[in-house]
Amino acid sequence: MALKDSIKTILQEAELYHGQGLLAEAKEKYQQAQALIERSAQVKNREKLLEGIHRKIAGIELHDQKVQQTAATSPALSEKARELIKRLFSFSKEESEEAAALEGAIALAKFGQFSSALTEFNKLIRKESHRTVAAKNILRCHIALASEKAAVEQYEEWVKSDLFSVKQLESIRVFLEDNIPPEALEKPLSAPAAPAASAEEETARVEEEFIDISSIGIPFESGPAQGKVIEFDVNFQSGNLLSLIVPQKEGNIIEDLAVGTKINDLQFYSPIAIFNGAGVVSEKSQIKSGPKQGDFCLDIEITST
Amino acid sequence: MAIFNLKKREIECKIVYYGPGRGGKTTNLEYIFKTFRKQITGEMVSINTEGDRTLFFDFLPMGLGKIKGCEVRVQLYTVPGQVQYSSTRKLVLRGVDGLVFVADSLKVRREKNMLSLKDLQKNLKEYGLNIFNVPLVLQYNKRDLGDQGIPIMPVEQMERDLNRQLKVPSFAGSAVNGDRVGETLKECLKLTLKSLHKELKWAQ
Repeated sequence: MALKDSIKTILQEAELYHGQGLLAEAKEKYQQAQALIERSAQVKNREKLLEGIHRKIAGIELHDQKVQQTAATSPALSEKARELIKRLFSFSKEESEEAAALEGAIALAKFGQFSSALTEFNKLIRKESHRTVAAKNILRCHIALASEKAAVEQYEEWVKSDLFSVKQLESIRVFLEDNIPPEALEKPLSAPAAPAASAEEETARVEEEFIDISSIGIPFESGPAQGKVIEFDVNFQSGNLLSLIVPQKEGNIIEDLAVGTKINDLQFYSPIAIFNGAGVVSEKSQIKSGPKQGDFCLDIEITST
Repeated sequence: MAIFNLKKREIECKIVYYGPGRGGKTTNLEYIFKTFRKQITGEMVSINTEGDRTLFFDFLPMGLGKIKGCEVRVQLYTVPGQVQYSSTRKLVLRGVDGLVFVADSLKVRREKNMLSLKDLQKNLKEYGLNIFNVPLVLQYNKRDLGDQGIPIMPVEQMERDLNRQLKVPSFAGSAVNGDRVGETLKECLKLTLKSLHKELKWAQ
């Protein structure tokens, strides 16, 4: 193929990729065309062509810089968009309004809308059932907003208030210590009370690790699944408490798991790691109404990891 | 996961359009929004775009009317395709009932297709789902570009790359022209509702 035709084809491809938004591919083709033209003195309008290609490449590089800047900060969303996120990403509406509200707030945080998420978590902190989880997420939002000082101040305010129990505050303190850069702490965080027995301390340390656990593998030592590890999806997580929904047809598998049963060698599956631990069955009941009627609700409290 | 209201006999399910960046996921939804107006029950929302690039997700609600005595509603989502939005993709994928994987037929995007499919498989696994068990349809998009002399992969090659093990329905089309967009969605809906019917055992 004549040189002129080659350059034309390459530039056409570059333009198409550019039009498609495939900028890396477009840049590669422009550079390919540029190299071809630079190697040959006979190309007509050589300088003009090179100038045009150079402008295209510069435009792409500028766009890449802008994209990187956008990726580093979360774009602001409209109120309508934030409400939609809260609605679409809360999955526990049928079970509990508060659980749904928590999921919505977490979704806002995950989409980088930390200020809005803070507003939601501050509403949830009034509810006993989600107080600790909401508190940890408030601190997490402050840290994400590069406001470690606000996180520390918030914690100290809670220590002075009577909103949290000693155990809850200790759990929050450990969480904050583990998530804040050491240089952000001008002095040690106030301890609500001296740590009690080591078992409680272990529980607090497990509680503060806010890792999304998506599923749990339970080893069965008796029953129809004896000797096997069965994986169950985590329907809802609150700190170290995992709620599972077990379909009615699988009820016989969990027959021997009574409240208080301790389970070792649990396998926890999270987005960042798979890890082992131990837990205890804290609640077990059969759902009496609603779309999951007949299914079993099983709560497992993680005691160590 | 599908929301099934036994009392009201309503089912709401979630279909996610997945695939590499700039592959045509949003274009699919835009075409559906323009063309299937009778079934659209709300506005198409794009959160958030930078120019024409999805940063968070697109959302389009549809109503399919009564099927086997149940009012069926579908929510269509797209995910951002760029590599750096991995955590957003995972979040949008939560609770998915059916998938359309939009692959880019351009030769230069071959590797991106395969990486995106692997990413999908990994994210599904983290939700305890197996890609082989989730209702899934493949769309080989941008076939029209072949007519403009731009190198595209033969469908056979795309089948080998993406569908050799999955063996799911696939459609070669062009979202910008609307070619096979409707068919792709219909097949995905068919598979999804079949799966939900099996799981929920709903019937008149």
